[in-house]
Amino acid sequence: MSRPSDLVQGTLDMLLLKILALEPMNGFAVSLRLKQVSDEVLQVSDGSLYPALHKLEQEGWITAEWKTSENGRRAKYYSLTRLGRRQFEKEAENWDRLSTAITRLIKLRDA
Amino acid sequence: MRLEHWRYIIPMRVRSLFRRAQADRELDDELRDHLEQATQEYVAKEMAEEEARRQARLDLGGIEQTKEKCREARRVNWIHDFIQDLHFGVRILRKSPGFAIVAVLTLALGIGANTAIFSVVYGVLLDPLPYQDPSRLILLNETTPLVGTVSVSDPNFLDWRSQSRAFSQMAAVHEVGFNLSGISQPESISGEAVSPNFLSLLGVRPFLGRDFDASEEKSGAAPVVMLGYSLWQSHFGSDPGAIGRTVQFDGRSFTIIGVLPANFRWVEKVQFLEPIGTWLVTNPEATERGARGDMVVIGRLAPGISLAAARSEMEGIAARLAEQYPGSNDQFGVLLTPVREAFVGDMRIAILSLFGAVICVLFIACANVANLLLVRGTGRIREVALRVAFGATRRRIVRQMLTESFVLALVGGGLGIALAVAGSSAITRMLPEDMLMGATIRLNPAVLVFAAGLILLAAFLFGLAPAVRSSKSGIYVQAKEGSAGTGTAGSHNRLRGILVVVELALCLVLLAGAGLMMKSLHLLLSVSPGFRPERLLTMQMELRSPQYDKDPRVINFWQNVLDRVRALPGVQGAALGNNIPLTDNHGRGDITIEGMPQPKPGSYPHPDFHSISDGYVSTVGIPLLQGREFVETDNEKGAPVVMINSKLARQYFPNGDAVGKRIMFGHLDSSKQWFTIVGVIGDTKMYGLANPARLEVYVPFHQSASSDMDVLVRSRVEPSAMTAAIRGEVAAIDKDQPIFAIATMEELISASVAGRRFTLILLGLFSGLALVLAAIGIYGVISYSVAQRTRDIGIRMALGASQGRVLRDVLGVGLRLIGLGILLGLVGALIATRVLSSLLYGVGSTDELTFTAVSVVLTIVALCASYLPARRAMRVDPMVALRYE
Repeated sequence: MSRPSDLVQGTLDMLLLKILALEPMNGFAVSLRLKQVSDEVLQVSDGSLYPALHKLEQEGWITAEWKTSENGRRAKYYSLTRLGRRQFEKEAENWDRLSTAITRLIKLRDA
Repeated sequence: MRLEHWRYIIPMRVRSLFRRAQADRELDDELRDHLEQATQEYVAKEMAEEEARRQARLDLGGIEQTKEKCREARRVNWIHDFIQDLHFGVRILRKSPGFAIVAVLTLALGIGANTAIFSVVYGVLLDPLPYQDPSRLILLNETTPLVGTVSVSDPNFLDWRSQSRAFSQMAAVHEVGFNLSGISQPESISGEAVSPNFLSLLGVRPFLGRDFDASEEKSGAAPVVMLGYSLWQSHFGSDPGAIGRTVQFDGRSFTIIGVLPANFRWVEKVQFLEPIGTWLVTNPEATERGARGDMVVIGRLAPGISLAAARSEMEGIAARLAEQYPGSNDQFGVLLTPVREAFVGDMRIAILSLFGAVICVLFIACANVANLLLVRGTGRIREVALRVAFGATRRRIVRQMLTESFVLALVGGGLGIALAVAGSSAITRMLPEDMLMGATIRLNPAVLVFAAGLILLAAFLFGLAPAVRSSKSGIYVQAKEGSAGTGTAGSHNRLRGILVVVELALCLVLLAGAGLMMKSLHLLLSVSPGFRPERLLTMQMELRSPQYDKDPRVINFWQNVLDRVRALPGVQGAALGNNIPLTDNHGRGDITIEGMPQPKPGSYPHPDFHSISDGYVSTVGIPLLQGREFVETDNEKGAPVVMINSKLARQYFPNGDAVGKRIMFGHLDSSKQWFTIVGVIGDTKMYGLANPARLEVYVPFHQSASSDMDVLVRSRVEPSAMTAAIRGEVAAIDKDQPIFAIATMEELISASVAGRRFTLILLGLFSGLALVLAAIGIYGVISYSVAQRTRDIGIRMALGASQGRVLRDVLGVGLRLIGLGILLGLVGALIATRVLSSLLYGVGSTDELTFTAVSVVLTIVALCASYLPARRAMRVDPMVALRYE
């Protein structure tokens, strides 16, 4: 089972930014979405999720707003900021470079 | 990008900091909301309600922990902790006011003394001179092998300026004085005649009016003047309309063209500036190459040129000029001094020594407070152990303890700054004005920043070791469940012992410094000035108005003054003379001795000249060694005569046959007169008691008129009581004639050692403070060790140990500390007092007698401080001690 500590440093941030880029949502929805999209391979415990969200908020990459949900409850909705979008692009680009490099390395044949 | 980032972040941090409760509430709501949704999710998966709730909580992994992690993400937690610690610290300190008061006062003295002295260090050494790029400004003088630094001649300056490439600009600065008349009380003012580019070279703009014009360099310029700010304030009521008006200087009208800025400073007192072209009108002789009056040159180094490069260029120029004009320049060199050094003068070493001393005092103060904290630390072991048990980490405890120290340092520092305000104004009053050279000493922002730094530094210095100690012992006690932390008591005592030894050592260094200064000053004041200073009044006058343009008029005025003053009741003797001892006033020149081989221009005997009246030698009390002193007939009609001092006689007439020989003022010239030596008199201290005598020649004022003279009166009564009567006599002759520099000879002697006295008083004050603090320190350590060993002592006494034996044991502990402290201190003093050596007089920087004396003083004081607790130990009642737990 994957724990957040197994994730490459900064990967959780990138995932969260990507998820929130799709649409604003609350913490619980993020948790669900994270499980769905990653086929439960990247299982992030809820205990790590919230501190991570708060950290992103403090960095100014996401912003939070209290909204009333469809079932009439007030919930905290997170959405991506302009800074966050730029941060995501940067991290995604890094990720691309890194994963291509690693893939290339793995596929090297023994000489 | 960065800016946008901060636009998001700052409101966020501010909110976290100041709306903490709301942020916490929202966090609660958010997590509760999450739990409810997660529970429903599990219920939807057909889980029992109870089980679903449990699983949701489990997923969140400890709600409180998660909350804490979220709070940590806010990054301002430390501030909250700090504020909490601050509250706690204040509360704890208020519970033990005795400790808090002693600690705060100790720190206030330490920080206050440092802040006050730093305000002097800043004002004199660091405060940027009010010029543009002052580090590029260099003062230039001429030098000769015999005399050292001498003034520059105007033609040489002009050649320097045209030949030098190392300086982008050069200006001549000539010291001048005027009598300011046409006002209620005539007065004498001093200023400079300068090249027109002087101010622009410095990068100074007039506060009002215009700067000098390049055309005002040539002789013949109209009389214009720029007033100093304070002169403008005092005589023109700060009226901007003063520009264009005229003032009477030496009876001539000068047009005011400008006012200098209030913060203008120069190496001499400047009450006005005039262009050199104006000055040359009345001083045409200055254009001769051999004439060296009172002129220095200021230059601004060209971009990229180093001082060394400029020096070698200037030396080359001076050497060429010496070859070109051997009659006036042979052997004359050039000296370059950064302008800052000229401002600071001899103050640097004194000030830095005092700064070192106060830093020692601060260390001692911190060591004392650290000691107090260590004692408290042992008392607080249980409290710390409790906090450790409740999960406080060691770092957290150290931080909390340091915050307490910070509170102490802050309160002490605040009080110290208040002390420094009073202290630095007292210091300013103690410092002679001419030593300050216009430096302002006050608590400016730079000094306050320094004080704030000291507060932080002090908090760490005295707080860190005790904090680490007590956090360690707290954990130790918790593990061992020990009763009174006996396990760490030993190392505690060792640390406290070390602190006391260091205190004693630093104290000894300060005492040694103060002792050496005291001995120097004592020796210096017992140096004979070469005359009798008791009841001798001096006052100076300079005749400058046009009515005194001819020598006979000048001589007539002085003779008139002398006759009238001699007739006053209470006068035992009166005389006139210029350049009197210990005033630093001087007039010098070359002389030619009849029959001696003609030396090179830089190697003539170059004595100080004095124009004096008959009776000068007997009135001032200078011993007459050979021949006779001047009498009334040594006048215009009499044969030209001089007296010389014993040093000149010894040096140039080693066979003791000076009387009857002849000298000429200046170089050999058939149109000039020979003066016959009629007497040899003792050497007098002209430039301070510590400086060796110079060559001196005295000439009757009737034969060599001088426009400036001092009236010297030996009175039968308190000399200052004569002032008004003498003023009256002078006013009866000329009511516009100012009198200035009124002082008794004893005051002049006292003023000549003012700098040393200043250093001694402060050094004495600081070492006294150090002594008191060190005594408190050793008292504390011994009392504490006695208190700790009460039961011990009780048992020993119960077993038959005598009181004397106990006393000896306890004192033995003290003696060991004292011995170590003194040993360490002596080593420190041997090194540290070397920096004082240029301030010392007649005593080496490692004077055994002084070192022994201060060691004895320190030992006695420290022993007394140890005796008090030792006596308490001696009186321990064995029964009480044994029951005590």
